[in-house]
Amino acid sequence: MAVYNIRHVTRYIYEEAVPVCHNVAHLLPRASPRHEWRFAEVDISPAPAVRTDREDYFGNRLTFFAIQEPHLELEVTGRGQVAIEPRSELPKTKVSWEEARDQFAIRGSELLGEMQFSLDSPYVHSTEEVAAYGRESFAAGRPLVEAVLDLTARIHRDFAYDTKTTTVSTTLPEVMKARSGVCQDFAHLQIGCLRAMGLAARYVSGYLLTSPPPGKPRLVGADASHAWASVWVPGEGWLDVDPTNNLVPSDKHITVGFGRDFGDVSPLRGVILGGGRHQIEVSVDVAPVDAECNGNPQLPNF
Amino acid sequence: MNPLMTPTPHSHAGAGHFAGFCKSYVPPVGLFDEMEEPDGSVRPHWLMFSTLLDDLGAKELQRRWETARQLIHDNGVTYNVYGDPAGMDRPWNLDAIPMVFDPVEWGRLETALVQRARLLDLILADVYGPQRLLREGLLPPELVFAHRGFLRAMHGVTPPQGRWLHMYAADVARSADGKLWVIADRTQAPSGAGYALENRLVISRALPDVFRDCRVRRLALFFRTMREMLENLAPQNKENPRIVLLTPGPFNETYFEHAYLARYLGYALVEGGDLTVRDNRVFLKTLGGLQQVDVILRRQDDEFCDPLELRTDSALGIAGLVQAVRSGNVTMANALGTGLLECPALMMFLPRLCRHLLGEELRLPSAGTYWCGDATARSHVLANLQRMVIKPTFLNPHRGGEVVFGEGLSGEGLSALRERILASPRDFVGEEQVTLSTAPVFVDGHVKARHVVLRAHLIGAGDGYSMMPGGLTRFSAAADSMIVSMQRGGGSKDTWISSTGPLDTFSLLAPAGQVIEISRSGGDLPSRVADNLYWLGRYTERAEAVARLARGIAARLPDQNFETSPELPVLFTTLIHHAIHDGIPEPGTRPEEWLARVLLDDQYPHGLQATLTAVYRTASLVRDRISIDTWRIINRISQDLPGHPAPRDLGGQLNDIIPGLDRLILTFAAFGGLAMESMTRGFAWRFLDMGRRIERALATVSLLRGALLSETEREGPLLEAILEIADSSMTYRRRYMATLQVGPVLDLLLADASNPRCVAFQLDRLAEHLHELPPTEVSAGLPMHSAIAALQGTDMRRVAEVDEEGHRAGLELLLNSLSKTLHSISDAISQGYLSHAVTSRQLAAANRWGN
Repeated sequence: MAVYNIRHVTRYIYEEAVPVCHNVAHLLPRASPRHEWRFAEVDISPAPAVRTDREDYFGNRLTFFAIQEPHLELEVTGRGQVAIEPRSELPKTKVSWEEARDQFAIRGSELLGEMQFSLDSPYVHSTEEVAAYGRESFAAGRPLVEAVLDLTARIHRDFAYDTKTTTVSTTLPEVMKARSGVCQDFAHLQIGCLRAMGLAARYVSGYLLTSPPPGKPRLVGADASHAWASVWVPGEGWLDVDPTNNLVPSDKHITVGFGRDFGDVSPLRGVILGGGRHQIEVSVDVAPVDAECNGNPQLPNF
Repeated sequence: MNPLMTPTPHSHAGAGHFAGFCKSYVPPVGLFDEMEEPDGSVRPHWLMFSTLLDDLGAKELQRRWETARQLIHDNGVTYNVYGDPAGMDRPWNLDAIPMVFDPVEWGRLETALVQRARLLDLILADVYGPQRLLREGLLPPELVFAHRGFLRAMHGVTPPQGRWLHMYAADVARSADGKLWVIADRTQAPSGAGYALENRLVISRALPDVFRDCRVRRLALFFRTMREMLENLAPQNKENPRIVLLTPGPFNETYFEHAYLARYLGYALVEGGDLTVRDNRVFLKTLGGLQQVDVILRRQDDEFCDPLELRTDSALGIAGLVQAVRSGNVTMANALGTGLLECPALMMFLPRLCRHLLGEELRLPSAGTYWCGDATARSHVLANLQRMVIKPTFLNPHRGGEVVFGEGLSGEGLSALRERILASPRDFVGEEQVTLSTAPVFVDGHVKARHVVLRAHLIGAGDGYSMMPGGLTRFSAAADSMIVSMQRGGGSKDTWISSTGPLDTFSLLAPAGQVIEISRSGGDLPSRVADNLYWLGRYTERAEAVARLARGIAARLPDQNFETSPELPVLFTTLIHHAIHDGIPEPGTRPEEWLARVLLDDQYPHGLQATLTAVYRTASLVRDRISIDTWRIINRISQDLPGHPAPRDLGGQLNDIIPGLDRLILTFAAFGGLAMESMTRGFAWRFLDMGRRIERALATVSLLRGALLSETEREGPLLEAILEIADSSMTYRRRYMATLQVGPVLDLLLADASNPRCVAFQLDRLAEHLHELPPTEVSAGLPMHSAIAALQGTDMRRVAEVDEEGHRAGLELLLNSLSKTLHSISDAISQGYLSHAVTSRQLAAANRWGN
């Protein structure tokens, strides 16, 4: 059992006062298998005039808030503590990818919730190029899990991690061309490949514990939010895969929410009036907690 | 109706046939014609009309029709055509001959379309609620989940009275066998009802006698029902709710209709930027402050309505609107999310959905629709590709592509299409083309056959729906074209259904006997409109100032030598400084070249061309606020100058440019006159006038600064030019005879408050306007009066004095201080009244997912 304290701070600094802003945050975690959340909160400064916490269409927890007095700075902090069980082993099922696909062809099936993730979404269009890339992993009759892991490894091998080549609005064809990107791009790519085969795949947003370089202390705030993909396996449920790190998440990946793509679970979105230019500072800290002392002396804030 | 007047089929020779000019009407063989039976006789429900029209005669119809077209032009009825710069504000093409419908058939059509509207509303209730239709396989889930119009943010939000679809329109066509079919459903924000009303207005004026004798059912009741329906939608059953009509703006194809309906129904016409959300409530930003909005009649596509929760790339939306709707503080009509049902594949499933949801058979069939995601339907489409219209299932630019007519394709084209369909079948819908019926259209004095489609409008009323007893009939541009589209050059008709009972002559325009609340405040002027009017005033005045200065120069160029006439270089520098900031004439540049740049080159933001463009653009934004006459003047402005491409040099054209500038200056005088004489003294007029006053004062200050700060050799000609440019020569001569001196000129242009061109006069007007506006923190204590007093207490002869270097330091100080005062007034107006007009924008995405 791994226990973490998580702190995710986003700060906007405006050149001119912003009289009104409306925002939507996906920072509160939903219940997930193997996750036990001890607490989770979102703090907003300045205090919003309106705040509503609710579930979104996909069952994620969403925070809507509005600040209605002039402010030069906005700080939104998501924090919480979670205990995670490691994943025991990979699903043993030998079900082929075609069988998984054909489940959705049955009209009036019980799989409506899964089926919706097999279709195009605003950030993920399975173009012919994406489909062709993915198809190489899906020989006829190949077991689904094996094919998916092969695809995960190929993306990891063929695409370079590079924070410079893409932005939040980079499309899949651009990622295919650049052959590089970040976790969001790789997750979208894998989802696109899977959907092109008729499979259901969703986008998972969360955090990842990063290990400090050998001999160096762990730097507070140096971690980052993370994203990966998840594929539906008949008889087993959803299987997470992380193409950025070529692995199946266990107890170092912390799930916050999921959707069809980035757009459904963007951690913080907002629309402001005026404000001139603005700066953004983001820091994410995933701090392992010694299960014995149940706290972290390094982080008095928790 | 006087029975003696009643024409009967037997009162004319050749009963049932067109006797007069209409007999030349020859509908195509093999199709259904709305007016004529295959044997050439007139269908009974057209008989009255055709007889009356024959009595009228072609000549008289032509004469009346010319008057009617003038009415359309004068009313500014337009339809914007996308992607065609010349097509902006295309005049509305209305036909003189209405479409006449059989009243009995109309009754059946109404029953069928009411059923269809109820059915569509129930489908929405399920899709945005329990989704049983998807679970039970009655509606393929792909059609919902993969459609951009399915707004997940609206799932689980039940609108007031449980109704999603408040307004619905169906495009109805008749095939060769005489059967009616629905060829398209409009569920998003159906257009056409306003055009139908305008059509009725024009036709009933052009053919008042025919209209009366045909006992045509009136439209006003439909709009009254619409108004009642919208009032009842207000949250908490509020009395006198504020209802607004939300438009995407003047560039929308049917903007005219938005403005027209808003005026007719008495609602404010607003754009997304006029509304703001506070405390989960929607407010209209007005000069009088924020005013809560209860119901939004929506003519904007739903996904663009909220940039926070719907499409984040929308520049038209209102952040927080979805949350306000969810909180039950505002009602949208139609509800957000109804656009989903415009998916063409849906029609295929309506018969079984109707049986399931209503327990009835669908009364009116849809055009044969085959969704290729279904195996049987796909085989049918592929086997009959040549007679199919292939449409994209989803509104997705990556999927399906354009509408393709199988009919026109070669063998190669067909097999390419087949492959595309097979590659992703669910993205395509095949539709059987209905061979549209024809109806008579009055073209150039003759009656010709054109294909027609009726758009019928329904609104939610009580438990069901009620249909407009009329509608918008559209016809094809050519006899051999089945494409009926205003975008592609077709036209429209009024639609007549004669009444068998008493006529309801209720009118919304003049509710006789009803007590109307007198309104004089005008405090609900949206800030955006005030902002646009203010800038319209500034731009017109700015353009006039440049035109006057340029005319002063152009008139002197041919007679005088540039080097030896002392006033020309000074005027020139002033003009260039004014129109091209920081521009200095390069040595060797001919003055004619500079004139060409200042006047015709649109790359200089303060040059004449760019300013005129700004005038036109700003005026378009407030079209619903300016009179038809004013709009004509604005239209004329663009015709006064040579167009593109701009000549590089005006050398050969000086003689043309001067009359052009003369015309332009007169046009601006007409604009100013209309503004003074025809606008009520409300806030709208005040903002327009404040813009003009500020800009005029600034122009005078700039002219004097450019021309008089340094003494020139012989100042007489220069002063003469200044007076001419500032339109004050006459006054000067009357006061001072012919003696030209700097001091008196300054006094006339700066301090003499009786001269409408003088700076003190502008300050006085500004003071009056600001006094009449609602007070704000920034507008209190503005220095207009002290500035006027200071100007009037100054001895301008002393200000005109020159130091040993030939410089007028006193004048410089005075002009600097005036310029500062004017800018502080302008800032106070912007901050105090127009700051609500600031637009909203997305925060940059902070959380780029790293790792």
